[in-house]
Amino acid sequence: MKLERGRTAVQEMGRGALALEETGEFETKLMRINVGPQHPSTHGVLRLVVDLDGERIVRLTPQVGYLHTGFEKTMENRTYQQVVTYSNRMDYAHSFGHDLAYVLSAEQLVDAKVPERAQRVRVLLTELNRMASHLLFLGTGILDMGALTLFFYTMRERERILQLFEMVTGVRMNYGYFRVGGLSYDLPEGFEDKARAFLDDFPKMVEQYADMFAKNDIFVNRTKGVGVIPPEVAIANGLTGPSLRASGIALDQRKAAPYSGYEDYDFDVPTSTAGDANARIMMRFAEFEQSMKICRQALDRLEPGPIKDPDRRISLPPRRELETSMEAVIFHFKLVTEGFHPPRAESYVATESARGELGYHLVSDGGSMPYRVKIRVPSLVNLQSLEATCVGGLFADMVVNIASIDPVMGDVDK
Amino acid sequence: MSAGTADRAGAKVAALAEALVHLGAERADQLSGAILVVPRAAIHQAAATAREHGFDLLLDVFAIDWLTYPGHGGPRFSVSYHVHAVAANERCSLRVQLDDGDALPTVTDVWPAAAFMEREVYDLFGVVFEGHPDLRKLVTPEDLEGHPLRKDFPLGESPTLFNDGRFLDPATFRAGMIGASQGRTGWIGGARKGVLSAAIEADGKGGDA
Repeated sequence: MKLERGRTAVQEMGRGALALEETGEFETKLMRINVGPQHPSTHGVLRLVVDLDGERIVRLTPQVGYLHTGFEKTMENRTYQQVVTYSNRMDYAHSFGHDLAYVLSAEQLVDAKVPERAQRVRVLLTELNRMASHLLFLGTGILDMGALTLFFYTMRERERILQLFEMVTGVRMNYGYFRVGGLSYDLPEGFEDKARAFLDDFPKMVEQYADMFAKNDIFVNRTKGVGVIPPEVAIANGLTGPSLRASGIALDQRKAAPYSGYEDYDFDVPTSTAGDANARIMMRFAEFEQSMKICRQALDRLEPGPIKDPDRRISLPPRRELETSMEAVIFHFKLVTEGFHPPRAESYVATESARGELGYHLVSDGGSMPYRVKIRVPSLVNLQSLEATCVGGLFADMVVNIASIDPVMGDVDK
Repeated sequence: MSAGTADRAGAKVAALAEALVHLGAERADQLSGAILVVPRAAIHQAAATAREHGFDLLLDVFAIDWLTYPGHGGPRFSVSYHVHAVAANERCSLRVQLDDGDALPTVTDVWPAAAFMEREVYDLFGVVFEGHPDLRKLVTPEDLEGHPLRKDFPLGESPTLFNDGRFLDPATFRAGMIGASQGRTGWIGGARKGVLSAAIEADGKGGDA
């Protein structure tokens, strides 16, 4: 069988029927189908070129780059503090994760001492954002399988989390709240109570529809045993995050190389051995529990205190000091006009985003702007596992496989 | 500040460094973690050795263009392979230095995950990976000339020729934005020239086709 371009399915069938008349054998040919880039089930602008033998996928080639914006090049032309404006715009579903990965790497360069309170707030917001990201994943994932109702339930919870973020940062997306050395300002009054109220409500809200995933025949039949990734294939393809853990490998950077004080929190790394789409999707429910545990502990340990590194070479001085101290005015002027100059070095801190390992590789040449920014995004590398999950499977399962790997195209294309 | 990756180079990395000495590898650690600089000719063998030593998860392949780095001598580019040993929870980078025009052997046969990563480096830096099964551009448009992450690629100043013949010149575009000039875009080959000039004539502001 070989593929001939430029023929429609009807033409192919016609040729097959002709051959049947002439030779008595029904001639079949591979058919090339283009999926996306504009399609709701591709979670953004992912284009897939699929070669089909009947309903079976023979070959699959992902095409990416439709959202490529050159973030790395842009960041190389901004000061270290300005980069925070850009870092959260790639993975719009887990913005705080990108912010955290960037500031940690920049802090490694300047050896910043981040106060305890700032670290707790960062962990709290990042874990809340992880839950919001998983909720979006669950809602859109099952939407691809035709279940519209659950999408509204997961969006309802996500809305509560976004309201918390709006309370802190003033916006619902692209927060830009973390700074190199701490936070840009403290949490608003009443935030902790609202966050606690949400954490109390959340398990009850999830309970309302968790069975609609776990005991839903249609969902289970469409995901069980579909797109199995064996652990060795997952590692060979560079898969990380919840999808890797669903294949039975307990690799979580929060445990493997704790950052931001994750070593002080009591939580587990849930794994599953099935490695199929069902395991990958249900893994998010298990992660909700761990994230809630971490959020509660972060709230319990949230003590009043400073939120910025007191080092004047990195952090802006408090506004009131500018009225009394000439030195503060000079530092303020220096930071605002040119920023700080880290020593020549390279830094990288691996973090666990909602999708896998995320890290910013920064190269400093001693100037006020990073010489080279390389972002290790999980979504792009995870996409390579699509071939392993889809080839040999049914065309209809491809949609499930894309959803279960949870790509965010902004994160893929940068 | 809590632990980053710098302390994740232990016995495994030391053993790998030892095994790569005869290939001419040198250790050049950074805050980002252990870095083993390998001669260009030996990179594929070094990658295979790393894989045998248990570094089974390839996290990233990325290039750095040292063209404008102050005080940098030696080859213009470096390409790093960031690898992680899942069982031992250790990680390091293999790094190779190369000049403009030098090619590298692909490591997709060692780590299949390198497929997209090498395409990204090829696209944004123009480093050719020999033996790559599908070495095409990854993210930039087909008709974009040059490699945007090179340090000599200008920022926001690249004239763009679109597939349909439309041509965007940044200087003219800016002039159009501030009203200094009528034309915001131009056409090559006169494809729809008449239509465009008619539009400009009609609204007097400069037609955006």
